Amino acid sequence: MRYLRLLAIFFRTELAYELEYRTNLALELLQMVVIITTSVGAVLVLFNYTTVLNGWDLGAMLVLLGCFYLVQGFGELVLQPSFEKFMEHVRLGTLDFVLLKPASAQFLVTLRHFQVVQLAQMGLGAVVVIAGLPRVSTLGPAEAAGFAVALVCGFTLIYALLLALSTFAFWFVRIDNLMAIYWSFLDAGRFPVDIYPGWLRVTLSTAVPVGVAVTVPALAISGRLDVAGLGLLVVGTVAAFFLASWFWRLGLRSYTGASA
Amino acid sequence: MIEIYRALFVGQIQAASQYRVQSVLWMLFSVIRPVIFLAAWVAVANAQGGQVGSYDVRDFAAYYVALSLVSNLATSWNAYDFEFEIRMGRLSPKLLRPLHPIHYAVVENIVWKMTTIIPMLIVLGFVAATFDARFRSTPAHLALFVPSVVLGASLAFLAGWVVATTAFWTTRVHAVSTLWDRAAFIFAGQIAPLALLPGALQTIALVLPFGYMLGVPAEILQGAVDVPTAMVLIVVQAVWVGIFYALLQVVWRVGVRQYTGVGA
Repeated sequence: MRYLRLLAIFFRTELAYELEYRTNLALELLQMVVIITTSVGAVLVLFNYTTVLNGWDLGAMLVLLGCFYLVQGFGELVLQPSFEKFMEHVRLGTLDFVLLKPASAQFLVTLRHFQVVQLAQMGLGAVVVIAGLPRVSTLGPAEAAGFAVALVCGFTLIYALLLALSTFAFWFVRIDNLMAIYWSFLDAGRFPVDIYPGWLRVTLSTAVPVGVAVTVPALAISGRLDVAGLGLLVVGTVAAFFLASWFWRLGLRSYTGASA
Repeated sequence: MIEIYRALFVGQIQAASQYRVQSVLWMLFSVIRPVIFLAAWVAVANAQGGQVGSYDVRDFAAYYVALSLVSNLATSWNAYDFEFEIRMGRLSPKLLRPLHPIHYAVVENIVWKMTTIIPMLIVLGFVAATFDARFRSTPAHLALFVPSVVLGASLAFLAGWVVATTAFWTTRVHAVSTLWDRAAFIFAGQIAPLALLPGALQTIALVLPFGYMLGVPAEILQGAVDVPTAMVLIVVQAVWVGIFYALLQVVWRVGVRQYTGVGA
């Protein structure tokens, strides 16, 4: 409860900060609309030549693309800004001040900063999902619930991956490159993970679970995910979360406070 | 001028050798997206019994391998650097030097491409083997590819500078360059070979400059167009380079007067 209140405060201050630059905000929104429209356009070009792509028809593909922007939007909403600040803290030694605060350091580091405008990206992603839905026949409460669970799992998987990656900052300090790899792989999530050749599919679903985080929610809402699959996802996500948190605490012990 | 360029080259090669890992990682960006769309088109082709238009699975592989190579050779990131220099006032000292700032960018660009070409070819060899690429190119295509990719890279570079120069008026050029990049995403041959863009989009793509930066050199390397057509396309590329060169002269001259040295 206390953490939720803290989260609300963080969110409000960041919102106030972003509202100071209105023109910039408007331009960012315009860019998102253009990016998402052109991505939908790319899918339409592909489907100009086929009605089905590895078992995904146009509706299912739109749902998937929407999920991609939901997941990417979530990453850019809170994870990217927070983890960037975290790496800066490690480099400058200012992480000391975070560690001294009377709340979970992992919470304060990973969910502290927001790019509120990215909510619009998630919103647009949701619009694309909804646009695809009428073409996907079966949508009952079971699918909706499965979708919600799968999406939360997707967010958590991305969180765990970024947490584990950024932990390397404790040892190597500068790891921008490692993060750059993640962002370049994320782009692959815009298509169902099963279209990729073996080595890339394995990378996308295990090492960089971007494929799973996007593909599984899309499967769930189109009613193509059974209970066992969903259960597996939940178990895997919980495991990934605890593993990443454990790794983070391990790294934290090597933090020496650089130059502060 | 040759002396100056030699000095700039030495400096840039030294700078680049400090950040080897970084330059290799940035190269990944040129490969990832073509591989994504290659995988998608392979899935489409398989759903259609192996053939889409004049392309079969192995043609798609060759096209996207060629496209990765071209986009690595034709990347230019001036808009991002230039915005930063304007915003921070760092352009001021460069303007005081007797050499136009564009020359630094030219050398930086060429050095980056030289240092990434070897790892790039290794990665592309791997991709080509995975997807079993088949090139239809004859020696004539390979000979024509050289001027075509040089023109494509020059065009991308000059156009990048024109976009970057809008920062003289707007300070933040990010929105403009996003619009530019997304137009390139659709029309440069990234989402599909130009020949497969549906009706109106294809016509627009042939009129706009984007396809002549990436798609055209890639199609020539892959051997998708016959030699006479390739020659015509290269002439069009040259015309576009001329247009953007002239445009840059004008925009730069007007823009630099607007520059007030923010923050310097």
